[in-house]
Amino acid sequence: MDVLSGLAHGFAVAFEPANLMWCLVGCFLGTVVGILPGLGPAATIAMLLPMTYGMSPTAGIIMLTGIYYGAKYGGSTTSILLNMPGESSSVVTCIDGYQMARKGRAGAALGIAAIASFIAGSFGIVALSLMAPPIAEFALSFSSPEYFALMALGLALVVLLAGDSLVKGLIALLLGLWLTSIGTDLFTSQSRFTFGQSSLLSGLDFMVVAIGVFALSEVLNSIADKEETQLLPVPKGMRNLLPSWEELKACRFAFVNGSVVGFIIGILPGAGASIASFISYGIERAFSRHPEKFGTGVPEGVAAPEGANNADTGGALIPLLTLGIPGGGTTAILLSALVLWGVKPGPLMMQESPDVFWGLVASLYIGNVMLLILNLPMVPLFAQILRIPVYILHPLILGVSVIGAYSVAGRIFDVVMLAGFGALGYAMSRLKFPVAPLVLGFVLGDAMERALRQSLMMSQGELGILFSRPISAVMLACAVAVLFLPLLPRFRALKVAAG
Amino acid sequence: MRKALFKDADVIAGSCTAALGVYITLTASRWEVMGADGPGPGFFPIGYGIALIILSLILIFQRFTAPLTSEAGAAFDWEGFGRAAATWAAFAVSALAMQTAGFYIAFGVLTVFLAGFVFGKPLKTALLTGVLSAAGFYIVFCLALDVSLPVGILGF
Amino acid sequence: MNRRNLLTTLVSLTAALAAAPSAQAEFKPTRPLELVVHSGPGGGNDVMGRALIAAIEEAKLSPVRIQISNKVGGGGATAASYIADKKGDPNVIGIFTSVWITNPLVQQEASVTMRDLTPISLMVLEPALVAVRADSPYKSMAELMDAAKANPGKMKQSGGSPLARDALVRTVLQAKTGGRWAFISFPSGGERISALLGGHVDMMVIEPQEAGELMRSGKLRALAQVADARLPEFKEIPTLKEAGFDVPNPPQPRGVVGPPGMAPDVLAYYVDLIARAGKSAGWQKFLREGLLEEKLLAPKETAEFLAATETQMRGILSESGVKLVR
Repeated sequence: MDVLSGLAHGFAVAFEPANLMWCLVGCFLGTVVGILPGLGPAATIAMLLPMTYGMSPTAGIIMLTGIYYGAKYGGSTTSILLNMPGESSSVVTCIDGYQMARKGRAGAALGIAAIASFIAGSFGIVALSLMAPPIAEFALSFSSPEYFALMALGLALVVLLAGDSLVKGLIALLLGLWLTSIGTDLFTSQSRFTFGQSSLLSGLDFMVVAIGVFALSEVLNSIADKEETQLLPVPKGMRNLLPSWEELKACRFAFVNGSVVGFIIGILPGAGASIASFISYGIERAFSRHPEKFGTGVPEGVAAPEGANNADTGGALIPLLTLGIPGGGTTAILLSALVLWGVKPGPLMMQESPDVFWGLVASLYIGNVMLLILNLPMVPLFAQILRIPVYILHPLILGVSVIGAYSVAGRIFDVVMLAGFGALGYAMSRLKFPVAPLVLGFVLGDAMERALRQSLMMSQGELGILFSRPISAVMLACAVAVLFLPLLPRFRALKVAAG
Repeated sequence: MRKALFKDADVIAGSCTAALGVYITLTASRWEVMGADGPGPGFFPIGYGIALIILSLILIFQRFTAPLTSEAGAAFDWEGFGRAAATWAAFAVSALAMQTAGFYIAFGVLTVFLAGFVFGKPLKTALLTGVLSAAGFYIVFCLALDVSLPVGILGF
Repeated sequence: MNRRNLLTTLVSLTAALAAAPSAQAEFKPTRPLELVVHSGPGGGNDVMGRALIAAIEEAKLSPVRIQISNKVGGGGATAASYIADKKGDPNVIGIFTSVWITNPLVQQEASVTMRDLTPISLMVLEPALVAVRADSPYKSMAELMDAAKANPGKMKQSGGSPLARDALVRTVLQAKTGGRWAFISFPSGGERISALLGGHVDMMVIEPQEAGELMRSGKLRALAQVADARLPEFKEIPTLKEAGFDVPNPPQPRGVVGPPGMAPDVLAYYVDLIARAGKSAGWQKFLREGLLEEKLLAPKETAEFLAATETQMRGILSESGVKLVR
């Protein structure tokens, strides 16, 4: 079956009333799960799995996948409104999204997040339906050296995130690298920096760190500065609650960037949506005409990462459906669902279960439109949250943070760590250290160390493996370019002065 | 921009991170750095540990070469710090208390404390806020979503 | 073979139950039960736990609801110490796997061993396959091992933690053949398989369920089974022993444990529950779809099995150069 007839068949399946309804249910549940911390998409899908046994596999997978990508739409809401990431892939959105909200553009930020999600999500789906098998082959050519180069590129972008002081940015980055290596070393089972605590054996959780240094420290800061009455201004009138034409125009490049970067990183089983969102944010800033404004609330800073984490969906489904390889926890549970229904994801799935495969792909197109329609009208509604007086809102943020941290592993230990990271984030902001590099170092550091050690094991200690492979070499060259790009204007100024 | 803490904040921060760097490097040097199969668990930490020491020293050094900015000389906002510290302490205590009191009670008490003490609302308003917030959380997270949260000796 | 094992076990279980003193008050749970697993949603133990609960609910075997409780982390240490803290609590059980045995051997911080908990029943053994890429020059286990011997340190295997079964298989094979190859750790199954499919490593010890579709579509080739007898689904693939490598097969067991100090009537209740669940249609379907080997054992035999496995793991781990702390 070729792509077009496959898609036509898929739409016929997906437009059956029952499937259409399950798609809507999945998207709606996903949005709710994304907005509220404490319930991740993986846990929700696992919880609902038994209920789908009675459904047809097509309806079941359409609904469960709807939860998966719906959650990515919803994740940005609390990032923007409360500086509190709803999902790990929405952590970067805090940086500019929350600043936009502080400037009274909360509605615009939410709108841009929804639009970027829709555009990039659709791009990912089109790419998935047109070229899934060849793309899957391409993803397999990625090995540890390429992963290392990718992470190095991501870390090089940190220089651009550093803000006023490069030294402080780098110190924050190194703190992130240290925090991420706490726990058991994968290669040797050596426990590192665990202080004899069995609770630290599995390392710190990204959500605990991110909620601590973003949401909790923001509450402490705002209480210290006595930002009384209302947290943020909410302008009146419908027009001010939606993105303006200028803001959308500023995001043109971000939509493309988020789509492409998110999709490409999405197909790699060793990366994932949070890494995709960070790298696309970094690229957005590197190519921006006003990089110094990033972090103060620019719409591109919301559009790029939110787009990337939705384009990631289409990418991540490719290895799952064409090879039976899950890239993360949520796709792993989708895989086990498919297996339980007797559908076998793998190279033969397209031919043997065309109803499920093409029905699912077509439902993604429909679901994306549904999510846009579901999300846009909710924007003005959500923006009203900011009207709640601070003496109520701040305790609410603290309570929601606790739920987010506790639900990671169901233990008080993580809530105590959350308090620790809240204090760290507060101290860092008072001492004028940027926190974004710390979070970035935390996300990329672990994967980077792993990839470096895997590469050197593969090459028996030869560093050349990192530079002799074309994709890896190109990315490392980009990383070097990114590092020296900011120096270029100074260099030119020097030359002019000398000449 | 937030107000800075101390005049010599950079020196203090730099000393702390330098000490951390020394700790990381010393700890990591006890692990295998280069094994038969490739780099060991100590390889990466030693690298960033040393980098942390160097950068911290640069940070401290910069303080003595660069002129003090006017803002860095501003008086320390003890009152604001006190409010933040009280909030943080209340949060930490309520986190520890959750094991015996359960989430909803600990959270309710925290809310009453913040509204009444930190924000200086009348006791009646504070109590009402605490009870209503806890009840709201109970409805959303326990009844509607069935999220498992710390359970106290009272059974909720 | 499996069926007879199951039958004898069931008979002995029923006999044990019938012999239990009738004066003893029978335990019947009144509060929801908590089933502790050490992986997050989608992980191996989580999937098994949810399948078990679904099978029990489908066959209406439990008067109360059973909730899954993900105590993630520390290679099982978090979950094991959580159960150990629930001493005497009749409403908590958990699912163990081989890392619950190996982890305390090598990690100081993981202080709860299987001997601290109450074994209820071993349920399944997961078989494994030694697989190479379909276009690999190695057509048999002997060719693969000869190549490894001829090029010491040059060949690569993708796998997980050095305590996991795939690493242990490498250790016993290396000791047997005198060959030596690199073991490259990847955190997730997806990355391990990608490394093999992409040709970045030469071999992998893979679970049949992960490999099934890739073998059927001609992307992977299995050279041997890490099992005592051939699986019905892979009749044409020899076991390691049949392929000429008579090594101990490191097992990958999964089963149910309870907290320390479990009262006899509570234990009897769970043994009965698991035995019935094991027979249920839902569970049998899970075993079939997951290509798992059924191995239901009574508490005493489970404890013996765990002790024997621990001794075996201890030997293999110290042979592979891992430092033991217990």
